[in-house]
Amino acid sequence: MKIIAVVSAKGGVGKTTLSANLAEALTMAGEHVLAVDLDPQNALRLHFGMPPHEVSGHARATLAGEAWQQSMYRGRSRVVLMPFGALNEADRSAFEAHLVTHPGWLRTQLGTLGLGRDDVVVIDTPPGPSPYMRQALSCAQLCVMVSLPDAASYATMPLMEDLIRTYCEGRPDYLGHVLVINQVDVSRQLGKDVVQVLRAQLGERVLGVIHQDQSVAEALAYDRSVLEYNPHSQATHDLQRCAAWLRRVMAAHGEAA
Amino acid sequence: MKPDQSLRSPNALSAALQRFGNGFVELPLWNRRPVRTLALVLALFMFALVVTVPLEFWQQVGFVTTCIVLAMWLNRVEGHLATLMMVVLSVAVSSRYMYWRLTETISLGNWVDAAFGIGLVLAELYAFVVLLLGYFQTAWPLKRRPVPMPADSATWPTVDIFIPTYNEPLSVVKPTVFAAMSMDWPRDKINVYVLDDGRREEFRAFCEKVGATHVTRNHNRHAKAGNINEALKNTHGEYVAIFDCDHIPTRSFLQICMGWFIKDRKLAMLQTPHYFFSPDPFEKNLRTFQEVPNEGELFYGLVQDGNDLWDATFFCGSCAIIRRAPLLEVGGIAVETVTEDAHTALKLHRKGYGTAYLAIPQAAGLATESLSGHVGQRIRWARGMAQICRVDNPLLGPGLSLPQRLCYLNAMLHFFYGLPRLVFLTAPLAYLLFGAHVIQASALTIAIFALPHMLHANMTNSRIQGKFRHSFWNEVYESVLAWYIMRPVLVAFVNPAAGKFNVTPKGGVIEEAYFDWVISRPYLVLLLFNLLGVVVGLLRLFVWHQEATTVVLNLAWTFYNLIILGASIAAASETRQIREAHRVAMKLPATLHFGDGRAVVCETIDFAEGGIGIRLPHGVEAQVGEPVQISLYLQHDEHMFPARVVFQGESHTGLVLAEMSPREEMAFIQCTFARADAWIDSWGRKRPDAPGMAAGQILRIGLLGFHNVMFHLSREMRRLLRRPEPGASAN
Repeated sequence: MKIIAVVSAKGGVGKTTLSANLAEALTMAGEHVLAVDLDPQNALRLHFGMPPHEVSGHARATLAGEAWQQSMYRGRSRVVLMPFGALNEADRSAFEAHLVTHPGWLRTQLGTLGLGRDDVVVIDTPPGPSPYMRQALSCAQLCVMVSLPDAASYATMPLMEDLIRTYCEGRPDYLGHVLVINQVDVSRQLGKDVVQVLRAQLGERVLGVIHQDQSVAEALAYDRSVLEYNPHSQATHDLQRCAAWLRRVMAAHGEAA
Repeated sequence: MKPDQSLRSPNALSAALQRFGNGFVELPLWNRRPVRTLALVLALFMFALVVTVPLEFWQQVGFVTTCIVLAMWLNRVEGHLATLMMVVLSVAVSSRYMYWRLTETISLGNWVDAAFGIGLVLAELYAFVVLLLGYFQTAWPLKRRPVPMPADSATWPTVDIFIPTYNEPLSVVKPTVFAAMSMDWPRDKINVYVLDDGRREEFRAFCEKVGATHVTRNHNRHAKAGNINEALKNTHGEYVAIFDCDHIPTRSFLQICMGWFIKDRKLAMLQTPHYFFSPDPFEKNLRTFQEVPNEGELFYGLVQDGNDLWDATFFCGSCAIIRRAPLLEVGGIAVETVTEDAHTALKLHRKGYGTAYLAIPQAAGLATESLSGHVGQRIRWARGMAQICRVDNPLLGPGLSLPQRLCYLNAMLHFFYGLPRLVFLTAPLAYLLFGAHVIQASALTIAIFALPHMLHANMTNSRIQGKFRHSFWNEVYESVLAWYIMRPVLVAFVNPAAGKFNVTPKGGVIEEAYFDWVISRPYLVLLLFNLLGVVVGLLRLFVWHQEATTVVLNLAWTFYNLIILGASIAAASETRQIREAHRVAMKLPATLHFGDGRAVVCETIDFAEGGIGIRLPHGVEAQVGEPVQISLYLQHDEHMFPARVVFQGESHTGLVLAEMSPREEMAFIQCTFARADAWIDSWGRKRPDAPGMAAGQILRIGLLGFHNVMFHLSREMRRLLRRPEPGASAN
C-alpha cells in the first residue's frame, strides 16, 4: 500500500480536483487506486459521479462503529472512492474529537481494507492544520503540496512545510514531499514569476505545473474526468506527467524495500 | 568459432586488423631512428618499383585487378587501418598511372597533339596532387570533444561577442543579437557588440533598448576585417567570439567551446561549423535539401576535422572564438587579402599558436539565396586564397610545420580547379572535333591505366567522405563554379591587388521561377560543343569507320561530361522563393491556448520569421482568424506568445505571431534557434554515400537540366515572338 496525501495550507487551490484527477491518471496508467476524502466538504465524490443525495461515508461509518468497506463507492470510474459522508455539526465535532484521541485511526482503518502491496491510496485533505490533516500526514509516504502561482500560496508554503516536518519527516517509510503548481497561466507575468521563484527555491521538488485549462471545469460539468473528456488538453498531459513521476518514485521505493 | 570462420567475416577481420596494426605500430624497434629511416627507404624503394616497373598489357591487367579486388574487399572491412590501406592502394595505382602518362604518352611531334596533350596532362597532374593532398589532409580526422569548463565560474574569462554588419536588415541581425545575449556565461563577463559599418540609427536604437553595444567607425576601410580591428581597439575581453550577423549562436556556444582555451594555453582560435538551416542554391534548385550533403559539408564535416590533427584548422570568419592577445600580436584580423579569416589563422600559425576545430554545430544561419550570390561568395574565397598564395605563401616563410604547409597548400590549390575542370569537360572534344591524339597510347591501354586510377580514387574517397560528400557531386559543384572562379583566381594570382570585394546578399526573394541565362551561358556553350562532339563522334564511328575503340572511349567520356553539364545547368534554374523568411524545420513540444480557455498539447513543425507551423492532435482544429496563444518551453520555463491562426490544413496549422516586445523576442529566440541542441541532430546524419545511387541521381538531375533548357528556351521563344522589340529577354 502506497499512500499519497494531497495537501495545502490554503484553501481554494484546486486540491480536490487535483486529487480526483491524479487518482484517475494513476488508474489509467495501470495502478489500483483508492481515493479517500478526508475533507468534511465531502466534495471528492462529485468527481466520481456519486449521486449528491447519497450520504454514506467513512465518517458516518466510524461514528456508527461500522467497517469501512460498506462505505466504499464504485461508480463509472475504475478508481474506488471512500467518501467522507454527510455529517451534521454535532457529529462532526464528535468525529473530530475521535480523530484527536485516536491518532492512528486512518492508518488502522486503511490496514483493515486488505489492500495489496502495490495498491495506491490518494487522500484529499482540507486546507490548513486540522485533525484530518494530521491523520493524513501521519500515514502518508508521499505528500503532494498544491499551490497556485500567486503570492498568498507562496506566503503559506512555510506553514505547510512545518506541518510536514512535524508529522512526516523522520518516519522510515516517508519518501518526501513535492509541489504541484496548479492553474498556471503563463500569459500573466505574475504567474510566470511565481513559478520561477518556486522552481528556484524548491528545485527538483517541483513535481510539475498544471496549466489553467477550461477543459478541467468542463469535464466536471459533463461528469467525466478531464483525462477522458479531453485527452489532448494540456491539463491532461500535465496530470499524466505528474502521475508518471509518482509511479516512478513509488516503483523505485518498492524495489528498494 | 574456428579461426577461418572469423577471418571470413569482414568485421571480425576488422578487429584482427586493428589488433595487428596497433601491435605493429607499438613494436619497440620503431623507437630507434635508424630503423625508422631504413623502413622508410625500403618502403619508398618498393613504392618506386610499383610505380615504375614496365608491364605488358596483360601483366598490367593482372596488377590492377589484384589491387581493385583487394580494395573492394578492404572496403567491406570496418576501421581506420583498412581505410589507410585503401589510401595506399589508391596512391600506388594513381601514381603508376601518372608516371605512365608523363613518361610514355606525351608526343611533341604534332603541335595539335602536343598542345591538347600537355594541357590535359597538366590538368591531370593538378588533380593528382590535390588527390594526394586530400588523402593527407583527411587521413585521420581528430574528432575533438569539448572540454568542460572549471566548476567555479568566477575563474572564467571575459568574452566579447562581435557581430559585424554592413547592410543587412535589422530583422536578420536581431535574432543573432538576442541569441548572443542569451549565452550561458556569467553576465559580468560577457559583452555583446554590434559592429555596424552601416552606421544606422535604427540599429543604435535597437542596441540601446536591448542592452547591446552599438559600435561604429567613421570609414569602412578593409570592410569586415577593418570593422573588427577597429572594435578590438575599444574593447577589452580576453576572448573575442565572432558571428556573422545572420549566424544565430546557441546558448551553449561559449560553454562548449571555451574549455579548450583553458586547457591549452597555446590555443589561439577555435572554429565551429557553419550550419545552414535554409537550402543553398544547389539544394534549392536541385531539390536535394537534407538529402545530399551540400557543398560546404565536406569542408566542415571532414576537411577541418582532418586539418585539426595537423594543428592546421582555418579560421572561417564566423562561429569562432579567438584569444585576444595573439590576435593583437599578429596585428588583428588580416587585411591584405579578401579571405581575411584563413589569412589570420595562417599568421597565428606562423607565430607558433595553435588552432582547433570542434565539429558541433553551435550556430546556424541562412545559406546564400541565389546561385549568382553563391558564385560571388566562392569567387571571393577563390580570389582570397590566390592572393594568400602570392602575398604570404604558406610553403615559404617561417613558423609552419610541414603538415601545416601541406594543409594550407591544399586549401589554396583547391580553388585552382577552374581551369583543370574545364579541360576535363572539353578534353574528349580534342579528338572528336579536331582528331588530336591527346594521349599517345591505344584506347585499351589508356583504359587499363586510367579506369583503375579513377575507380580507386572514387572508392577510397567515397569511404572517407561518404557522410559529407556523395560520389560524383564534387564534379557537379566544381563544374558550376569552374568558369567563374577560373578568371578571378588567375587574375589574383598574377596581380593580388586587382579586383574588388563583394558582400553576399542574403534573405532576398526570387519573385518568379526563372532560368539564369547569364550564369549558365558558359555551360550552354560547353553543352553545344559536347553535343557537336557526339554528332561528329557518331559520324566517325558509323560513317567514316575510324578507330572504333578510341571513338567509343571519347564518346563515353563526352556522355559523362554531358550529364555533369546538364546537372550544372539544372542548378542554374532558380526555383521560386515563396516566402521571404525561410521555414526552418524544428520539432518542439508546445501548447496551444484557445480563446475559450482550452489548452491543447501540440508540436511545432517549422518556424519562420513571424510564423510557426504546428501539428495539433488528431481531432482538434483551429478556426482561421482565431486569436490564440502558443507556449514554447525552455527546459522548465514556459513562454507564451500571442498569435493568430492563418491556416488550418489536414495535419498542419499555421500561426502568425503578434508583434512582440524585445523581451518576448528574446524569449522566442531562446526557446527556438538558441537552444543548445537545436542543430546537433541534423549534423552529419544524412544518408551515407552509395555510389550507384549517387550516379543515378546525377543522371536524373542531368536530364532535368536538359529538360529545363528546352522548357525555358521555348518559353523565351514564345515571349520573343509576342514582344518583338529588342532587349526584352529574360531576367
